[in-house]
Amino acid sequence: MSEVIDAGGHPNGAYVFRIYLAGGAPNSVRALANLYAICRRHFPESHRIEVVDVLKEPLRALAEAILVTPTVVKISPAPEQQIIGNLSEEEEVLRALGLPQKEIQ
Amino acid sequence: MSDKKRAALLEKISSGIEGFDDITAGGLPRRHTTLLMGGPGCGKTVLALQILVSGAISHGTPAIFVAFEENARRVSANAQAFGWDMPELEKKHLFFVDACMRADVVKSGAFDLTGLLAALGAKASEMGAQLIVFDAIDVLLSLLHDPAAECRELFRLHEWLAEHGLTGIITTKIEDGKAGTAQRYGFMPFMADCAVLLTQRTTDRVTARTMRVLKYRGSPHVLNEVPFVIGPTGVEVGSSNGVHPEPQPFTERISSGVEALDAMLCDGFYRGTNILITGSSGTGKTTLAGAFIEAACRRDERTLFISFDENSRDIVRDLATVNLDLAPHLASGLLRMESVRTESASSEEHFMRVKRLITEQQPRCVAIDPISALARVGGGLAARAVAERLIYLCRNAGVTALFTSLLEGIDPHLETTSLHVSTISDSWLQLSYALLDGERNRALSIIKSRGSKHSNQQRELIFSDTGITLAELYAAGGTMLMGTLRMEKEKAVETSRNHHEIDQEQRETVQTMTEGDPRLSAAERDPRKRTGGTAKKKPASAKTGKLGKSK
Repeated sequence: MSEVIDAGGHPNGAYVFRIYLAGGAPNSVRALANLYAICRRHFPESHRIEVVDVLKEPLRALAEAILVTPTVVKISPAPEQQIIGNLSEEEEVLRALGLPQKEIQ
Repeated sequence: MSDKKRAALLEKISSGIEGFDDITAGGLPRRHTTLLMGGPGCGKTVLALQILVSGAISHGTPAIFVAFEENARRVSANAQAFGWDMPELEKKHLFFVDACMRADVVKSGAFDLTGLLAALGAKASEMGAQLIVFDAIDVLLSLLHDPAAECRELFRLHEWLAEHGLTGIITTKIEDGKAGTAQRYGFMPFMADCAVLLTQRTTDRVTARTMRVLKYRGSPHVLNEVPFVIGPTGVEVGSSNGVHPEPQPFTERISSGVEALDAMLCDGFYRGTNILITGSSGTGKTTLAGAFIEAACRRDERTLFISFDENSRDIVRDLATVNLDLAPHLASGLLRMESVRTESASSEEHFMRVKRLITEQQPRCVAIDPISALARVGGGLAARAVAERLIYLCRNAGVTALFTSLLEGIDPHLETTSLHVSTISDSWLQLSYALLDGERNRALSIIKSRGSKHSNQQRELIFSDTGITLAELYAAGGTMLMGTLRMEKEKAVETSRNHHEIDQEQRETVQTMTEGDPRLSAAERDPRKRTGGTAKKKPASAKTGKLGKSK
């Protein structure tokens, strides 16, 4: 059911994300937009986003231990990292991804 | 609104905990939200889990437990300690969701419960769940750092429960045990249909748990705080509201274990009543309790002897010195003796323990020695309530119960008990010491014996290696003779009887008169009847007081 948004590029150095959303809930919509923006800004050529709509695949969220929506999981590069929230605090996101925060300025 | 409609609105599901159903007038509101609030370690998780488990065991109700604070596996493992077969229950009826946020999760911006609720909704319909627990939801919501957002999510949860027709239990921590201190969750009790506050208080170094129903929409409930314990089988709520069938009063008489005392009581105690024996230290309370129990065992009745702070073996050894042999009854299982350390638990826990022991042993006679030990733990009010409930527990079970109570006051004439149980006791025996001419002698008197005649005289209580006896007191020159003086007087009377036929005739005359007087009890018609009755109404206290002054 999940939708894959692939920016193509370098399979080895690619950033792979999975985002769990609750349909068109405001926080979910914002999170997806913020994730796009961050990806475009920081790794425009090498990212991949898988979108899981929990409303459509509710049992999958339980199985994958997703508690809240929106939740973003950075799958690659390792280690896996979970970020919850609508990603409006970009600094937190960058820190979680291990990116230098200076770049935002 | 028709009664039927009202009943439909008020539909309840049993919590499976007798006392909890008592205080909520039947249990949780079906298809509504119940809130359990309390400080850390108050027993919220155990209570919520127990409600699920008992629903699953007795009605096969499928249910979901969402654990936000503790690891779900650990919650389930802890539950096994209460004897609940979690693996089996999880196979059939219960589903645990581990909603413990991992420590390495980063939070960026607002989130909501929409996804979680969608997932739980799917799971609930898949397994046909009717009950769902959100344990420590505050842990997750506090990550929002926004009181308004927290309220919004709680409201979302509340709506979701209503929409799915689920009975919800939400537990949340509050600080200081006061609902008002939780500003953030101040509105939670308003939102919920039923709110219960759990507290834990320490009085005199002993901690006791209580719960109180803050509100219950559309239903009557007990307003008072009620004690509860977390025992080996889970939560037990000590509600005094329980309606129990009034036991049929017995007319059968049973022996006190002391023949002379039975005579004073006009044939012993009524079965199913309760007896209080008060006295200061060393007056013989335990020995009389032992005699009562031993007599019951000889009648082949199951018995229970609970002693606070005295080793059972010591009691058996001590009673053997007055020719009371409990050992064979202990060996046969007819008698069960339990020795309890008073300070090991709160008075409420002691109550629950006694209740369990009564259920296990199914005794016809119980002795609790001394019940006043309860006053030492958990504060006076709680102990008083417990002592009272113990008495009612025995009465409702049709058990004849003997309680001893230590009098510690300096005034030996102050005939009250620290637990104020004397008013609800059916029979009350008072033991004391009388000091006379360098002797300390034990004295016994009956203060009351409901529904029965009884002797109004004080007797000397004598323990010897042949058993327990009571001797009549001799009144001579305004004082009561006890011990050596009494024996001398008895000897003198015996001598004079042999020598003077006239004296004998006089005694017979007195006896005939006595028999003719219906106000006098059978005890007083005893052939060993005293010769002079002039000073018998004079209380022994007056005598001891006088002696004290003369010394």
